[in-house]
Amino acid sequence: MAQRSALVLLALAALAALLGSVMGSPWLLAMGGAVFPVALIALGAPRLRWTLLLLGIVLVGVLSTLLLLPDGGPDVGPLPLGTALMLFVLVPVPFILVSWAYAAFFDLREEDLERLRRADPR
Amino acid sequence: MPILDKPLIVVVAVLYLAVCVGLGIWSLRRTRNAQDFWIAGQALGVVVTGIATMAAAFSGFVFVGGPGLTYRIGLSSLFINVSIGFTAGLLGWTVAKRLRLLAEVRDVYTIPDAVLCRYRSRLASGAAAVAVLIGTVGYLGTQLLALGVVMKAALGIESALLAVALGTAVILFYSTAGGMVAGIWTDVFQGGLMLLAAVGIFFYAMDAGGGFGEITRSISESERFGRQFLEPFGETPVLMPLGFFFVFGIGVLGQPHMLHKFFMLRDPRRLKWLPLILGGSQVVCLLIWLGLGLAVPALVAQGKLPPLEKPDDAAPLFLLNFAPDLLAGLAVAAILAAIMSTADSFTNLGAAALVRDLPKALGRQVGNELLWGRIATVGVTLAAAVTAYLYNDLIALLGTFSFGTFGAALAPALAVGLNWKRVTAAAATASIITGTVLNLVMELKLIPLPPGALPTAVSLAASFVVLLLVSWLTKGEEIDEDVRAVMEA
Repeated sequence: MAQRSALVLLALAALAALLGSVMGSPWLLAMGGAVFPVALIALGAPRLRWTLLLLGIVLVGVLSTLLLLPDGGPDVGPLPLGTALMLFVLVPVPFILVSWAYAAFFDLREEDLERLRRADPR
Repeated sequence: MPILDKPLIVVVAVLYLAVCVGLGIWSLRRTRNAQDFWIAGQALGVVVTGIATMAAAFSGFVFVGGPGLTYRIGLSSLFINVSIGFTAGLLGWTVAKRLRLLAEVRDVYTIPDAVLCRYRSRLASGAAAVAVLIGTVGYLGTQLLALGVVMKAALGIESALLAVALGTAVILFYSTAGGMVAGIWTDVFQGGLMLLAAVGIFFYAMDAGGGFGEITRSISESERFGRQFLEPFGETPVLMPLGFFFVFGIGVLGQPHMLHKFFMLRDPRRLKWLPLILGGSQVVCLLIWLGLGLAVPALVAQGKLPPLEKPDDAAPLFLLNFAPDLLAGLAVAAILAAIMSTADSFTNLGAAALVRDLPKALGRQVGNELLWGRIATVGVTLAAAVTAYLYNDLIALLGTFSFGTFGAALAPALAVGLNWKRVTAAAATASIITGTVLNLVMELKLIPLPPGALPTAVSLAASFVVLLLVSWLTKGEEIDEDVRAVMEA
């Protein structure tokens, strides 16, 4: 995702979170909160297209489902569906996705460090 | 909280305090200069950094306040935590690498140092130092007050003042003697204890309640709690859990007690494992919140525990009545550890703000930073302890306010500013000041909000909006070549 797109997304997320809190709109706050981390990661790692898309789908999808399900939805085993999604999707899936992507795509070699140390401070 | 007067619990608590003092003595000889004192000589491995960051991030609230909050409002309280699924990665992608690389090319020991390097603005750096100092006094005060409560209960001390004084003395000893070297190694010891206790208590809690299925059935069928307790939004206004998700998910980017640890990593290339270690240890630690948060209401519903008069008694009551003494002792030590590991980070940060950051912002430099750092550590801790003792009610407000202050003041300038070159010094300064001031205004409820809306969510979102807006409205500035290289790495 290009940096410009990430910035536009970030601005929209910040406005949504702000207006959602001030005007009392759960949907605006939820969408702002879901898009915010995606936009920030995109700003730091614009090349992570698929990971970010998946992260966005998981965050937006789960929060939307929670808002749409009346009373947390039907029971799935011992928990309401919404709570099960919150505990067993909203925590582990982004954790595996983002942490794995960080380890997999982290790119810093000794030559990069040497070049940095040689850079003129002024 | 009831008095935990079982001998084994007292023994384990005293042993724990003795180990902390021992680590302070051990660290004293390894603290030779300012770099050792502020950033532990920049000599840590990635596992140590990850565990220490987790220990600093999770205060006693996770072990005591969390289960209590769940007892009161149900599983919607878990929205405070569910963002840990992405926060470790978010920290990695946006700030960890940039901050650590800044410390590779410059003498960057603190967050205001990093702000000064990035923006070349003493005003922005000074504003960041003031935000750190304000948040530190509040956060540290909250931790010391909680420490007094737990020490009083664990050791059977009657005087609250004596309990706070004893706990503070131990923290002060190792923080002053060993600075961050002591802080880090006690954090690692404390983090290990927290992980061990969290796993042990989770399984005991599940067992005591009759297993996960029986626990949720008891809660769901009880008149006191009902199915609503288990629903994601429960009885709380929907804005509150969603606000938790946003504030704790994004505000984490401005918490100096976590970010500061990144400067201490020896080899920046090892950062690649940080999100896995930090996030993984956070997930494990939160088992205690989930375990006790579910088991205690279930035990009340099953008639095995009387209804709680104070929700914060959930953890201590379970430990006294259902856990074996050794595990209860370990849990008390873990609670002390959670509080002290957060507190020691703040003694160091507060001292750095006074001795290093504010003088720098005023164009001055303190002569003997190591000596003055030690003196300032005592000063900041005593100021926070006095504030905590005198303004008991206000401290609860300050705890929330402090997290919000850090998030709203620092997250935009760091998370956006270290990744987008167009952010100007004026934008960073405006955002830091907006975050700090608006957070105070919102916490004091000077501006009315809809039911359930979190004041901190407003200040956090507003400071991002201000940063972006001012950056777009002001002219782009030159960035030093080495800082530019760090941002492009």
